[in-house]
Amino acid sequence: MTPPAAENAQVAQSPERGIDRVAAFGAAVAVVACLLLPLTVFRANRIVAGSPHTALSAGPAGWILLAVCVAALAVAALARPSVRGRVLPLSAAALTVALAWALGRAAVTLRAGQPVISRVSIGAGAWLVAAGCTVLWFASRSYDGAASFRRAAAGLAAAGFAGAALIGGLGQLSIVTEYGDRTAEFWAAVGTHLTLAGGSLALAVLIGVPLGVLSLRVRWLRTTTLGVVGLIQTVPSLALLGLLVFPLAALGLPGIGPLPGVIALTLYALLPIVRNTYVGLSGVDPAIVDAGRGMGMSGSQLLLRVEAPLALPLVIEGVRSAAVLVIGIAAVVAFVGVGTLGVLVFEGWGVQADDLILLGAVPMVVMAVVADAGLRALARAATSPGIR
Amino acid sequence: MKRRRTGLAAVAAAAVAFAYLVSRQDWWAAALTRLFPTLTQAVFPSATVADLVTQHLQIVLISSAITLLVGLPLGVWVTRPSGRAFRELVAASVDFGQTFPPVAVLALMMPLLGLGTSPAIVALSLYGLFPVVSNTVAGIEAVSPSVLDAATGMGMGKWRILFTVEFPLAARVIMAGIRTSVIINIGTATVAAATGAGGLGSPIYSGINLQNGAWVLEGAVAAALLAMVADSVLAQVERAVAPTA
Amino acid sequence: MIRLENVMKRYGETTAVRGLSLEVAAGEICVLIGPSGCGKTTTLRMINRLIEPTSGRIVVDGHDVTEQSPELLRRGLGYVIQSVGLFPHLTVADNIVTVPRLLGWDRGRMDARATELLALVGLDPREYADKYPRQLSGGEAQRVGVARALAADPPVLLMDEPFGAVDPLTRERLQAEFARIQRELHKTVVFVTHDVDEAIRLADRIAVMRDGQLQQYDTPEQILDHPANKFVHDFMGADRALKRLGRVRVDAVIRADVPVLSANRTADAIAERAACSESRFVYLVDADHRLEGWFDCRALANGASPESAITTVDWREVAVRPDTSLKEALSRMLGLGFRSISVVDGTGVLLGIVGLADIEETMTDSDAHIASVPGGLGGAGEAEA
Ligand SMILES: Nc1ncnc2c1ncn2[C@@H]1O[C@H](COP(=O)(O)OP(=O)(O)OP(=O)(O)O)[C@@H](O)[C@H]1O
Ligand SMILES: [Mg+2]
Repeated sequence: MTPPAAENAQVAQSPERGIDRVAAFGAAVAVVACLLLPLTVFRANRIVAGSPHTALSAGPAGWILLAVCVAALAVAALARPSVRGRVLPLSAAALTVALAWALGRAAVTLRAGQPVISRVSIGAGAWLVAAGCTVLWFASRSYDGAASFRRAAAGLAAAGFAGAALIGGLGQLSIVTEYGDRTAEFWAAVGTHLTLAGGSLALAVLIGVPLGVLSLRVRWLRTTTLGVVGLIQTVPSLALLGLLVFPLAALGLPGIGPLPGVIALTLYALLPIVRNTYVGLSGVDPAIVDAGRGMGMSGSQLLLRVEAPLALPLVIEGVRSAAVLVIGIAAVVAFVGVGTLGVLVFEGWGVQADDLILLGAVPMVVMAVVADAGLRALARAATSPGIR
Repeated sequence: MKRRRTGLAAVAAAAVAFAYLVSRQDWWAAALTRLFPTLTQAVFPSATVADLVTQHLQIVLISSAITLLVGLPLGVWVTRPSGRAFRELVAASVDFGQTFPPVAVLALMMPLLGLGTSPAIVALSLYGLFPVVSNTVAGIEAVSPSVLDAATGMGMGKWRILFTVEFPLAARVIMAGIRTSVIINIGTATVAAATGAGGLGSPIYSGINLQNGAWVLEGAVAAALLAMVADSVLAQVERAVAPTA
Repeated sequence: MIRLENVMKRYGETTAVRGLSLEVAAGEICVLIGPSGCGKTTTLRMINRLIEPTSGRIVVDGHDVTEQSPELLRRGLGYVIQSVGLFPHLTVADNIVTVPRLLGWDRGRMDARATELLALVGLDPREYADKYPRQLSGGEAQRVGVARALAADPPVLLMDEPFGAVDPLTRERLQAEFARIQRELHKTVVFVTHDVDEAIRLADRIAVMRDGQLQQYDTPEQILDHPANKFVHDFMGADRALKRLGRVRVDAVIRADVPVLSANRTADAIAERAACSESRFVYLVDADHRLEGWFDCRALANGASPESAITTVDWREVAVRPDTSLKEALSRMLGLGFRSISVVDGTGVLLGIVGLADIEETMTDSDAHIASVPGGLGGAGEAEA
């Protein structure tokens, strides 16, 4: 969804008129979340039902958080546009720090005098304040000429967050406790998840790219390949894992464990890779191919020097889609006995341990987001300036 | 035109055949018993295949309906002058949301909403939102400005233009987004069975937990067929709403 | 240099080229011309084996083209196409050295070659070497396309409507420049076009084709004056005398002995000196002999003031170059409403003038040829010539 340039211009102008509606929306979400939703949830132990606590019950830090939210709303609604571009990132930074601080204080206060097995987990309100805060950061980007303020604000936010983590009691939150209890298991799951996803992705690239290249030259291969991988894509991942058990068993291979996992993930990763390789190569202007052949390039020279560089950005884009897909489905593979992050999530579901669920889900999201951003950057870097 | 009609007929026939197959519990029982003669209980005991498919479809249809009710207006709104300020925010959120693993969305809903069918529905409708909004915006923005100019020049009002010009021209792209959304939902709903949402994931989970291969096969085959039939039906709809034949 | 012997190409039912025999001598430009679909491109692409003939033999430089691999053959035959086909991901310089790179030249030699060729096709190497194709205009891209075909100094150039996709003015310039390059390099060129004027201007020999068959293969003069049949006659058009002017360059009829005065004087001083000139116009030039304008003696005689008898001009707009064709010069004259036109070099230095009468004289010569055309061919348009 890249917007046309004209659209961009309009968006960039909109904060100039009166209130910044985007920033105001973000701040308003934060204010409402502060007032109405639980900032934290207290539990006597890991799995019993919890009692919700709003920000205001977190003592002075909670009131400060609310004040910062209201101040951010005021900035979004009332500040002059020229000033707002500079103050908005600062309010976003202040909100980030205030939230971290309030969470930490709430955890410390609620757990004071309670047994060590008591837990304070992050409530819906805190998530929404964080979302509102992200919107504020996002809105601040549309102001020209305030880049240095944004950088400074980001630095302040990082420092404040680190402070909250070190001395503000952020470490008292249940997810940190959960991590402390399961450090080894957590990192093993992260490792398995990455290995499984990365290995399958590599395998899919090794199979998919040549298939895409061949599809360009061999018509029947194109229709069958794209048809088959397209069909596989529609099959629910859990069903595919279930179905794989039987052919594997017939071959005397284990129906559970890493093997079906790798097979399933590779199959899912194939579609975007094969399709994008094919589309990228077939999109090369025939006149360019003709010129290359006319100058005496052999088939492989044409592929390596002309077609591949032109198709590469699209191929990497396909690998990116595949990577995001595979990181997500690797979680489901936990069901057939592979220790990915899915194990933590599903175990958490089993015993209703919210912290365990988060411990599995959050790194999965981080992995997907990092893979997405990294491969996007790689695709940009692999695009010749001549075709950018 | 003729090919389109044969395509529609084939897909309709496949859907009817699937429905009939699902209703014949006796066939499933016979087939599974034949394939797994050693198992005492070769058929998932808690619900018939028809019930499981119905549950599954219920979850998917409700969440897709919510997705459409929210996603279409949201996508349209950010392309109108009144919502244009939010276009960038929505586009960025939707791009970001699409990188989220579906299981993670399910997982993150759990602490907030607990177990059962409704949190699954909330998670599915949220996750399904991303392709619908993304394609609605892309489809509407792809309508050429000169067409809009011509429509305005002929004296058509904003709403009229939206319904008689923009929607028809964007229909195929929007429908492609809906198709993606529904197919992802069918898949994620299978996983959601682990949170107690029911549906075709249940026999697969129970089968894996109790080492009953027949149940796994029962759920997996039904889920795979359901997804394929739904995908081809939606593919036909997508083709049918395309502006040019 | 290039010989086609009874070459035929069939696509299923259709025969694109039938029984074509043609010989192109070394250093000559052979232009293939004919209506769309007559098999020009097919013929050209059979020479570098982008298309394999159904039957017949093609010999380049004494060797049957099938003797070596198509790739090796093509590296020795420069190839330019209408859509240019520059590689969008490579810079202009890298595009140009495509074939040298295939041949394994070292970097220094390739860089030097790119610079040399850019200068040859009239593009400043410093400005253009590192640009990408999408940053070029159509005319610039075509020049790069020609430079790329020349990179490994192949003796043969195959060009398929190389100037087909640019505006008429740019095409005119590209043709003039190509003619200059050819005078320097003496390549053997097979050039496809369906622009009759382009063919007449550039060709040493024209091959007129129709439905895959050769209709006539001869010099432009012969084809204009003695068309082999009605098709060739009609195809070359009714204004053949005018077309013939396309063959003659301005410098062939230029008058160098024109009266000149330094423009750096008062109008009265100019008028005084001009009065003793015999011709109607006295040309005004600057210290470097660059054209600045002219003085109309008759206007002065008719009672105009000396100031109003002076016309100041920009040489870029009212003058032609020595290598312009007479056809172009005539059309410029008619466009400007002049009876004569000044001729300048690339920096605006006045070289002489060409008058309508000089052109008329050339046309009368060709009328003599036209009179000898076999009877029965003359159409209604003939009277104009
Ligand atoms: N690959 C092909 N398959 C079938 N027929 C072809 C093929 N290539 C060319 N032809 C036919 O051969 C004939 C000659 O084609 P060619 O491209 O040589 O014409 P041309 O003289 O270059 O025309 P133009 O001036 O339009 O470029 C045409 O009738 C064309 O339709
Ligand atoms: Mg052609």
